[in-house]
Amino acid sequence: MILDISIVRWFLIILSVIMIFDRSLKFMRKELGQTLFKLISSILIWGVVLVISIYPDFAYFFAKKLGMGENLNTLIFFGFVIVFTLIFKIFSVVERIEMQITEIVRAIAIREVSKKNKKNLRL
Amino acid sequence: MRKRNIYIVIPAYNEGKIIYKVISDIKKNGFKDIVVVDDGSTDDTEKVSLKAKVNVLRHFINRGKGAAVKTGLEFVKFENADIAVTMDGDGQHNAEDIKRMIRKIDEGYDIVLGSRFFNKKNKMPLFNRLANYLANIIVFITYNLWVSDSQSGFRAYNRLALKKLNTKLDRYEFDSEIIKEIARHKLKYCEIPIDVFYTKYSTSKIHKQSFKNGIKTLIKIITS
Repeated sequence: MILDISIVRWFLIILSVIMIFDRSLKFMRKELGQTLFKLISSILIWGVVLVISIYPDFAYFFAKKLGMGENLNTLIFFGFVIVFTLIFKIFSVVERIEMQITEIVRAIAIREVSKKNKKNLRL
Repeated sequence: MRKRNIYIVIPAYNEGKIIYKVISDIKKNGFKDIVVVDDGSTDDTEKVSLKAKVNVLRHFINRGKGAAVKTGLEFVKFENADIAVTMDGDGQHNAEDIKRMIRKIDEGYDIVLGSRFFNKKNKMPLFNRLANYLANIIVFITYNLWVSDSQSGFRAYNRLALKKLNTKLDRYEFDSEIIKEIARHKLKYCEIPIDVFYTKYSTSKIHKQSFKNGIKTLIKIITS
């Protein structure tokens, strides 16, 4: 069975194990930004990748059980849509934060020079 | 030239070696209201600019050329400027061109864009020429306005333009965003030829528009 596994599947197996291990370690060390939600999401996502890499037929078995059968592709398509929506959402949040940082830096720069100019006028 | 509040805004990032000369050249041409915006430099740009006895604003972290120019323009609006001229802090621009820009503002234009391509004397490296031409095409497709040099930082703005402009982009894509604002607010603009000096110093600045930054700029223009 081990010899039947292709290089790509081996790569996915190793990667999934590393990701699950890394995320679990970060959570156990209570590193900044680590939450139970992130841990469970990572284990679920990488767990699915790991299981499908070891048992590729599991995806079809799962789809049949769900009643989707050949509609597995539809499920995958919607998965991509959700992921891309999340990515765009993250982009817009990051963009907004960048703008806010610039506004703060600008306000401080202008306030500092205005303070200096007022001080010079008083002297 | 009649008496007005004319401010020269210079965004600068690690230009400690040349900024004093840039400021001196501007002063030699009769302009004393100069604003240097130090965009989080790690060298002595701020110190040298203060030595030159000009207004110096400092971003305590680097935010990009566009952010620095906007900070300078916001400051001069606060100082009741009639005209603001922006130019690069790396010595590539000729301070003698400022007077010609102001003359165009006096003729009734809201924004004057300096164009490196109108001036046949400029020996721009081929790669820069091609990259700028591509940027012009992208700007035209995105904003439906053709200018010969959408990436030039040497520009002049009157009061109305300063009041209307509302830019959001922080880095090199800011220069293109100004074109968008011209189209959006139907501002009266013109282009004039400007000199550009490609020195060993200015072309060695690695933080300037490299190929990677150029691609990022193009993506920002299209998606903004």
